[in-house]
Amino acid sequence: MTNWRKPERFNGMGKLIFNAFSFLQKKLKERNIPCVDAPFVFSEGQTVRDVLTAMTICDEDIEGVFVNGKIAPADTVLRDGDRMAAFPPGTPGPYRLLLGIVKRGKDSQ
Amino acid sequence: MAHILRINTKEKRYSFEEPSPAFAALGGRALTSKMILNEVPATCHPLSSFNKLIFAPGLLSGSPAANSGRLSVGAKSPLTGGIKESNTGGLVSQKLARLGIKALVLEDKPEDDAYSIIVIKKDSVEILPADEYRGVCNGEMIEKLWERFGKRVGVASIGPAGEQRLTAASIQFADPKGHPGRAAGRGGLGAVMGSKKIKAIVVDDAGADKFTLHDPEAFKTANKKWAELLMNHPVSGQGLPAFGTAILVNLINEAGALPTKNFRSGRFEFAQDISGETMSANIEKRGGIVSEGCHPGCVIRCSQVYNDKDNNYLTSGFEYETIWAFGAHCLIKDLDDIARMDRLCDEFGIDTIETGVTIGIAMEGGLIPWGDGKAAIELLKKVGTGDPLGKIIGNGAAFTGQALGVDRVPVVKKQALPAYDPRAVKAVGVTYATTPMGADHTAGYGVCQNVLSVGGTIDPLKKENNVEISKDLQIATAAIDAAGLCLFVAFPVLDHAEGLQLIVDMLNAQYGLTLTTNDVVQLGISILKDEHEFNRQAGFTKKDDRLPDMFKEVFPPHNTTWDFTDDELAKARTF
Repeated sequence: MTNWRKPERFNGMGKLIFNAFSFLQKKLKERNIPCVDAPFVFSEGQTVRDVLTAMTICDEDIEGVFVNGKIAPADTVLRDGDRMAAFPPGTPGPYRLLLGIVKRGKDSQ
Repeated sequence: MAHILRINTKEKRYSFEEPSPAFAALGGRALTSKMILNEVPATCHPLSSFNKLIFAPGLLSGSPAANSGRLSVGAKSPLTGGIKESNTGGLVSQKLARLGIKALVLEDKPEDDAYSIIVIKKDSVEILPADEYRGVCNGEMIEKLWERFGKRVGVASIGPAGEQRLTAASIQFADPKGHPGRAAGRGGLGAVMGSKKIKAIVVDDAGADKFTLHDPEAFKTANKKWAELLMNHPVSGQGLPAFGTAILVNLINEAGALPTKNFRSGRFEFAQDISGETMSANIEKRGGIVSEGCHPGCVIRCSQVYNDKDNNYLTSGFEYETIWAFGAHCLIKDLDDIARMDRLCDEFGIDTIETGVTIGIAMEGGLIPWGDGKAAIELLKKVGTGDPLGKIIGNGAAFTGQALGVDRVPVVKKQALPAYDPRAVKAVGVTYATTPMGADHTAGYGVCQNVLSVGGTIDPLKKENNVEISKDLQIATAAIDAAGLCLFVAFPVLDHAEGLQLIVDMLNAQYGLTLTTNDVVQLGISILKDEHEFNRQAGFTKKDDRLPDMFKEVFPPHNTTWDFTDDELAKARTF
């Protein structure tokens, strides 16, 4: 497996790029939460779940989360420079399956 | 019993016949592919009198089953040289079924250059002169035919591309509002219709006998649960109606699988500009229609009407793959430019995927600059005028690549790859390579029992399990196509084990059968066997089941390559 992420340990604060799609994008925009290529600052050790919680996104609004283009579980520890994207139920096609969303997406809740 | 209607396009005569035992239990893709295998010489020229163009409603079409209005159109493909089934919505499928027509078969071809239209009603079949319609685009064609034969008759027509017998030509179908937004797009079937000099087919089911169901109560019970299943699922009940299939733009981009600049990388920096979210916002702002069905009885309603900035109708049925082809593939970020090209394709009657990929090849060959939407529109307009350059573009990506001396031509069996990079979603790549249709994402849709059991283990970037899952999806898709169901029913069926059983229950209640879910799987397998056999007879071998060399390039952002061997891919064809 290629090393596709920076080291887990870094000093203090990290910055990631956050996106939300579909109904979630609409919902966050209505709440004035930046969600299109939006920088998000987080603390060392924080996970996908922590970021979702900070944005007050509830579990039922999430089917899966990408970290750097791969479906990632909610306890994934984030690293400086990561790219994170959250999406709600409603992805058409067999791609929920073929991208590994179905099982791992549910794990992440 | 439903009949087969054969029309000899040379003699201008027709006949109804009872289906032979080989055809009696089949519908949709199962029937078109079986008839082509049995009746079309595999080595014939696709535009010759030996080819046949077959329209077959799915087995559930015409019934009250939700989302069952899909039509299979089959022939030997002028684009691939192999068998082709192209699947469409619109009004024709249900009307043919209600008239008791199991298949409409266009045979032979005229020796002169005179066009005809075919008009099918309850008690008549007419083959009428149509030279007045020569050169008419599909939108105007539908308008004229609705004016002449009544609003809401089913219409299938070809535009200038089909008349020129271009290998990317489509057959367009009127949607319920009379827009030419539904298409049997892939594989150049419009050219086959053009070769037979049939400009349009009109189907009017007024006065048709009541549709008979063997067990109406059992059917009603199953269909009620079926419709609930579709409407309560987040994909078919919420995601698709709100954003259409274009909801995939951002997701596939995020997964690093959105082929950009002729498959050089998996992310397009302007994906958000061409996303389903942006499309939906534009539709709301401009007074379009966010959600409508492609045929009566559709409860998913993933189609839409997209207006321009002045709130005038621009296009409908604005699909993810179209947006990708003219968008990320060509580096065009203006969604309105993309919508204009979608509309031009509908009007000229030409496949949007093939044509979008071809425009990218024209950019690759230096004909127009990358990302220049306006130049792309002007180039596409040439297809409608008979300009020699338009003829090159209208013959698709492989032809255009050759004409321009391009070595990066993303095709399998000469058909352009759709909107999912095979290095980042490997199961789709296996389907592109091994389906008898040529590169086609819809050949590996659907779901079946095996898929349910292995669902969570798929890694899209690795080889493991991806051949097996592609095979399962191809089998399931073939069965769904035979049933006449929209492929998008696959989502709720994936998540709910009773979904497949409900399809079987409806088939049994309609026809008085005792099918099991395994029979449906076997039907899917038999369809694929027929199609592979036709292609074998046409001269295809496993060397035709390869992706082009360009996919050996490392593909960012995941830096994967296409690494399947011929023997590994061949396993997707072992049944």
